[in-house]
Formats: sequence, C-alpha cells, structure tokens
Amino acid sequence: MKVKELMTRDLTAAEPTMTVRELIELFHQSGLSSVPVVNDQGRIVGIISERDIIEGALPGYFEVLYGITDMSHLSQKLREIEHDRIEFYMTPDVIKIEEDEDDLTAADLMVRKNVKSLPVVNRDGILVGMLRRIDLLKDLL
Amino acid sequence: MIITVTPNPAIDKIYWIERLCLDDGEVPVMRATRSYLTAGGKGINVSIFLARLGIENIAMGFIAGETGRAVERRVRDEGITTSFIWVEGETRTNVTLLEHGHESRPIQITEQGPTVSPDALKRFIAHYKRALQRARYIFLGGSLPPGVPETFYQELTHLAHARRVPVIVNAAGEALTHALSEKPWLVKPDTRQRPLGTPEEILRTGREWIAGGIGAVLVSHHITHDVFITPQGAWDLEACDVQFKNLLGAEDALIAGTLSATAQGAPVEEAVRWGMAAATACAESEELVVTDRQRIEQALTKVHVYQL
Repeated sequence: MKVKELMTRDLTAAEPTMTVRELIELFHQSGLSSVPVVNDQGRIVGIISERDIIEGALPGYFEVLYGITDMSHLSQKLREIEHDRIEFYMTPDVIKIEEDEDDLTAADLMVRKNVKSLPVVNRDGILVGMLRRIDLLKDLL
Repeated sequence: MIITVTPNPAIDKIYWIERLCLDDGEVPVMRATRSYLTAGGKGINVSIFLARLGIENIAMGFIAGETGRAVERRVRDEGITTSFIWVEGETRTNVTLLEHGHESRPIQITEQGPTVSPDALKRFIAHYKRALQRARYIFLGGSLPPGVPETFYQELTHLAHARRVPVIVNAAGEALTHALSEKPWLVKPDTRQRPLGTPEEILRTGREWIAGGIGAVLVSHHITHDVFITPQGAWDLEACDVQFKNLLGAEDALIAGTLSATAQGAPVEEAVRWGMAAATACAESEELVVTDRQRIEQALTKVHVYQL
C-alpha cells in the first residue's frame, strides 16, 4: 500500500520565523509534540520537537541528568530563549518519505532511523501529511 | 486541489423530537427520538461532500480545545487533509432541534466560537498562502469568530486572485460586502437571517453585482427556490415535491454539488442544477451530507429550471 493511502492528512507545521513561545503554545493547543518546519513554498526545511526546545534551553540536559531537581532553572532558561526563532533549534536534516513510496519502505525507514513519524512530501517536496507508526500498525491489523 | 475555509467550525449535534413543548407552567423535558453528531461549519460540510465524491481537498480554519480535536478527527476520518490553526478556548458546539412534522423549520442554538488572536490570524495567512500554490478553487464560508476582521474574506479572495484561483464566497453582512469588492467567481449570500427580499429584488441586486464584475450569483429565496444569475442570463431553479427530513446542510450541498460538477468540467449553469439536486437529496435524507449519485440523479428529476 502507498504511503499516501496510510498517512495522516495533516499539514500542521511551523515556520522558521516562529518563536519558541509560539511553538510551545502550538504544542500545548494541538497536543502534538513535534512538527515539521516549512518555508513559504511548503517545502520542509526542518523538524522540531519538545525535546529540541528543552535541549535548546539546557544544552546537554538529556545526557547529564536523569531526573529533574530544579524547575526554576529550566524556567529561567526557557524565558531567555522564548523570543528566539525556532530555526535555531530545529533539526535541519529531516528524514522524510514521498507519498508514492510503499508501506514497507516507510516501515524500514522508521526502524532504521528510530523515528516515530515521517513527514510525507509530494514529488515537488511539498508537505502533504505525516506518517505515524500507529498509521502503519493500524493498517497491519 | 480544492481549499475550503471555515473560520468558525463546530460540532453539530442534532436532536429529533416528537413535539416541541414550551407551554407556560411546564418544565420542558423533551426526549430525543434520535440524535446525530458531526463536524460542521459551511466549509467543512463542503469538504465532506467533495471527499465522499473522491475530490481531494484541504479544510482550513481555526479550532480550539477538546471540541476542536473532535472536529479535526472527524474531518480526517473523511479522508480530508486538515490545515487548522489552533487557538485558545473551545470550538463551538451547535445544537439543532428537529420537531416531527416541522423538519423544514429547524431550531438552532449556535455558539460564538473561540477568540482568534492576531498571531493566529498571521499564521493562518501563512498557511493559506502555501495552500494556494496547490489550489484550483477556494471556498470561503460561514460566520467569523471573535477576533477575525470583517475584511477576512476580502483579503483571502484578493490573495487567491493574485494566483488566479477562482473563489466562492458564502457569507452574510459586512464580511460579504467586503468580499464583493474583490469580485469573486461565485457568490452565495447567506440569507438565513438577512433575506435579500422578493424574487424581483434578488434579481435586481444580483444583476447589479454581476454588472460590478462578479462571475455568478446564487440566492435562495424560498426553501425550494434558488435564483441563479450570470452575465449570460438569470434562472429560477425550483425543487418540486420535496419530502423534507433534514434541511441542515442542504445549502452547503447546493454549493458543494455545484463546485464538484464544475471541478469535473461541467458548465456552471449545468453545475448549479446538479448542486440543486444534491441539496434536494440532502433535504430528503436525515443524513447531513448525501453523495450517493443515484439519489442525486433521482433528485435531478425534481429540479425544474425557468429562465427569468
């Protein structure tokens, strides 16, 4: 089956000029934890997650700490970067898949790259949806 | 690709009741014989109709809260691509009561909708401009939530025209008046609360709009009548012997049917007749959206067209 038949047809995305505060609001309101970042043409230029924001506020946080001991420190660091553009914190090398690829290629890519979802693009590289692990699992039942 | 914009989507909850009892001295408790829940709003209804006919489309608008999530899920379940902007608050829940024997006069309670911030508006425009690059037609319809300026449809029409994409506007009041200045391809005034007057007055207004550069005007002036005006002429479309079951969504089916037939290459005069049949099939069904071709073709036999 083709990816375009399985994907979640959602175009929720961030722009590179969006601020960290606006992104946190988007995550909070939508319930999403990561979104693709697209340019004016709708082409993917990055992907950004909650984890990228935490790491942006506290570089090395996930490597050094195993538990949170002081929320005020994270809060202070977040306030310092809240007006920064998200383009400074996004991952620019995006693992994505074309809508006409098949489900096996998508599943293999997800396993090899250890990702939970893949932005789906058309032949012109324009974002047309997201393929999540659950989209594949649901189809296998 | 067709883009539909619903600035103020809703969850529509419909109750069928035997008798509407609001007598003095009673505490009215009305038990529904049936109920139905769906994602709604003009653009969303048009999107659902198109998707069920296999026509790819993107639904855009502002959503919020748990009701917004429910709207998004139901729209996606129809195979529609979603590109909503999330805002604070809660998407509307609109309630409709259909009393047995009075189905052509639904009672509706509608909410105002969440407030849209200037930042959310800015983000919507960015999403809309991206979507325009893939658009063949744009549908703009329905009320505007708090925070969205009355010039919203005018701006969206202007942006679409800059990319030579035809626009259909289905709105009322100031939002419609502003949009008219951009001369959309097809205008369907929402006359539910602001009727345009007698058929003669509708014809006069419609002809003025056409003279001003609008491509076509479609106006409902009776439950079963619509006036259609283009630079080539004017027609009265009448649906005869309609057995009303649910009038909700019929107007959206009229537009969606017209749009789907146009997108498939039909001349606009023929497309409107198909749209009228789609609206009739919807009105004769309890479902909000009917796309069964056989039922629409049966309804087509009830649609009569008279040149004005």
